[in-house]
Amino acid sequence: MSLLKINDLKCHYLTDIDTVKAVDGISFEIEDGEILGIVGESGSGKTTVALGIMGLLPENTAISGEILYRDELISSLPESGMDRFRWKDIAIVFQNSLEVLNPVMKVGVQVTEPMIKHLDLSPYKARSKCADLFRTVGLDPKWVDSYPHQLSGGMRQRVLLAMALSCDPKLLILDEVTSALDAFTRKEIRDLLVDLQKKNGYTMLMISHDITFVSSVASRIAVMYSGRVVETGPVRDILVSPRHPYTRGLVHSTPDIFVYKDLWGIPGDVPAGNEFKGCPFSPRCTQKIDICSKASPVLMPVGGGREIACHRGGIAGLLEAKNLNFSYRLPDGEYLQAVDNVSLEVREGEVLAIVGQTGSGKSTLAHILANVIRPESGEVLFMDGNVSGGNYGNRFNGIQIVFQDPFSSTSNRFTVLDAVKEPLYINKIGSNGDRLQMVKNALELVRLPNTDNFLQKYCGELSGGQRQRVALARAMVMEPKLLIADEITSALDVSTSANVLRLLKGLQNRRGFAMIYISHDLSLTLKIADRIAVMDSGKIVETGNSHDVMLSPSDEYTKRLVGSRIGLCCHTH
Amino acid sequence: MVKDRNSFILRLLSTLFVILAINFFLPRMMPGDPFSTTSADEVGEEIIVMTEEQRLYYLNYYGLDRPLHEQFLGYMKNLMKGDLGRSIYYKMPVRDVIMLHLPWTVLIVVGATIISTISGVVLGTLSAKNRKKGSDRLMMMGMISFAEIPSFLLGLILLLVFSVHLRLFPLAGAVTPFADYNGPAEQAWDILYHASLPIVTLSLSQLTGVYLLTRNTLITVTTKDYIRTARAKGLGENTVWIRHALRNALLPVVTRTGFMIGIMMGGVVLVESVFSYPGIGMTLRSAVVGRDYPLIQGILLVIAVSILICNLLVDKIYGKLDPRVVI
Repeated sequence: MSLLKINDLKCHYLTDIDTVKAVDGISFEIEDGEILGIVGESGSGKTTVALGIMGLLPENTAISGEILYRDELISSLPESGMDRFRWKDIAIVFQNSLEVLNPVMKVGVQVTEPMIKHLDLSPYKARSKCADLFRTVGLDPKWVDSYPHQLSGGMRQRVLLAMALSCDPKLLILDEVTSALDAFTRKEIRDLLVDLQKKNGYTMLMISHDITFVSSVASRIAVMYSGRVVETGPVRDILVSPRHPYTRGLVHSTPDIFVYKDLWGIPGDVPAGNEFKGCPFSPRCTQKIDICSKASPVLMPVGGGREIACHRGGIAGLLEAKNLNFSYRLPDGEYLQAVDNVSLEVREGEVLAIVGQTGSGKSTLAHILANVIRPESGEVLFMDGNVSGGNYGNRFNGIQIVFQDPFSSTSNRFTVLDAVKEPLYINKIGSNGDRLQMVKNALELVRLPNTDNFLQKYCGELSGGQRQRVALARAMVMEPKLLIADEITSALDVSTSANVLRLLKGLQNRRGFAMIYISHDLSLTLKIADRIAVMDSGKIVETGNSHDVMLSPSDEYTKRLVGSRIGLCCHTH
Repeated sequence: MVKDRNSFILRLLSTLFVILAINFFLPRMMPGDPFSTTSADEVGEEIIVMTEEQRLYYLNYYGLDRPLHEQFLGYMKNLMKGDLGRSIYYKMPVRDVIMLHLPWTVLIVVGATIISTISGVVLGTLSAKNRKKGSDRLMMMGMISFAEIPSFLLGLILLLVFSVHLRLFPLAGAVTPFADYNGPAEQAWDILYHASLPIVTLSLSQLTGVYLLTRNTLITVTTKDYIRTARAKGLGENTVWIRHALRNALLPVVTRTGFMIGIMMGGVVLVESVFSYPGIGMTLRSAVVGRDYPLIQGILLVIAVSILICNLLVDKIYGKLDPRVVI
């Protein structure tokens, strides 16, 4: 028997103008002694769930579905019936705000109040228990007689916690308990919660947008988006390999998980209209297909205790390479195995970095993947092989590659217009007028001027950074699903390369294409990559989450690679 | 802290000085003087018209022919000694006249304050609890239209209905004339009996304000996070409403009560006249008619000082009720 079970709960706020579907059909269970975390951006309906369980939603809320506490239906109880469960069975720690505690009552009185009511304690006994509770949550009992405004935010949060614990609830709901706290207090509260759980075995429902905090306490996580659960599963699995594109976006925007990576949020916003029938995440999703904007997906089990709501079954694979081999014939007749039985996978919207020293076979691999050269054996499947015949390089929404050296990849004698237009011309895409507009759009994307004057410039007149951007525009004009960037910044100076890189990552984040970023520069790859594959003498020796690979490399070669970064004079390593 | 206190006292003194000056000059700016009264207060009262010679004599006798600033300085000097002057009409010290009538006014003002505050808060709470329901709308509409009736008119209606037609209450006075009481209980009853209608009239004139303030503040307060917290604790509707919501909603009501006493001190003049109730309101009216300068000054001063004291008290009480405020 689960302690709390929620069946298809819907909470719609009815206002005069429209209906806000704060919670739109969610179901989950909490087992006795379990800590379930609910994460999601603000406005995803997390707090509404908490208030719904407590029966505290405002009057203008249309509630449907069932909330069962120990198999007893509590969602349709009147106020007085709900009071039987409140605090003694289910208590909530509210988010600390200035007015969450009654401003004209001493905090001690507010903590003892429910004990006197529910446990029939005498005021004197309740007061001494209050002092104990204060000590439990790490607050000096001398504060019992102070008013809320005399306490700091962290202290108020502790009072709220003490208050929630006062009647020994079976289920403790924690709503954004750390969002307003500094790092130290946050850690203290976390340790306190873990401690309490160990000692008293509280069942907790922990609601927060702080995925790091939740994952450090909870055993299971439900990810909410726009009033629905899009993914659930064990904490570790979700953090390491998120399956829903939204979860991945959330994990990737968390600085605690990707320590070195630049912070890029999930572009776009939650759809506002009520009439929207499709998957709520589809406007922001990089892998949406037709059905995504027509029907909303349901939560389906995918094994390993995980469930996911996505029409595509989670983050889809984009490119799969199987057992690729390629060797060069050397002048002495020997063969150099440049690519040695390489298999790899690139998923929708992800940035995979391939790192390794010069001569490790990175560029050869890139050329094979981009269909520039053919492998001796093995195959490359783009979008599950649906796009076969090896022509995924010369079509719209296919694969594009940007090469290392802009001075040789763009002809000196081409004008900017001709250089960018070339793929359209070769592949006979669009009329001449269309092509000009597409070129202009592509130039705007890479932040180059799209004036006639600039379009008529010869590539030879441009600087290195500008020429690399022209090369980028030439790739972007084909609107690729996968962009392979082969050492694109190595020929540029530090500042220009930083600009090009930020531009590239910005484009990737905004337009949602996947990217293979090939580089020998570890520090740079850490800034943009989600996953890293390390290559050594034609083989991929290690693959993983970029910061795991960097912080705890397992392969000897990777360790050497990481160790060989030249530190600044003041760094010790 | 000391600096704050000093500036507070300075502010108080300057306020008092301005009030004194207005009290002094305003009556003297009215046409006429105490000895040229030609209108009678009541029908049938004998009108004594003095000769010019007599008038000048009395003006000289009371020092009213001296330059205004000299009179003002003299007034201030006497005031410092605690001397409010002598009433020209009553021929006795102003202080005694006031002491004679003030208790009646205090009785009905305090009574009205208590009644209007309590009933306003109760009705406001009921209304807020039934917000958006018929009973709330009806009560609100009734209260607002009721508030439009001026208090003297209301007093007249009450007087006509309850005293003239139903004969339930006395027509005038504060006590039964020439009554012989069997003990203080009976005396108290008689006083209360006479004070009822004036108190009710004054209360009703203030009721709507208290009611609306309570209702609206409560509605705002009930949307606050701490009410949600209290509700979550399962304390029961009554505790949530009374201990958590009302306790916070009463803060502005307390402030209002302070102002209300001031407003009532003004309104009491009309109400006392309607009921011929012998408080300082009615005394003030006859003093104005008779241009009894010292008495006007004295009464206005008492009213002003009592308003100041009320505001001070409210500040003090507010500080006790709201721990966030430091006075």
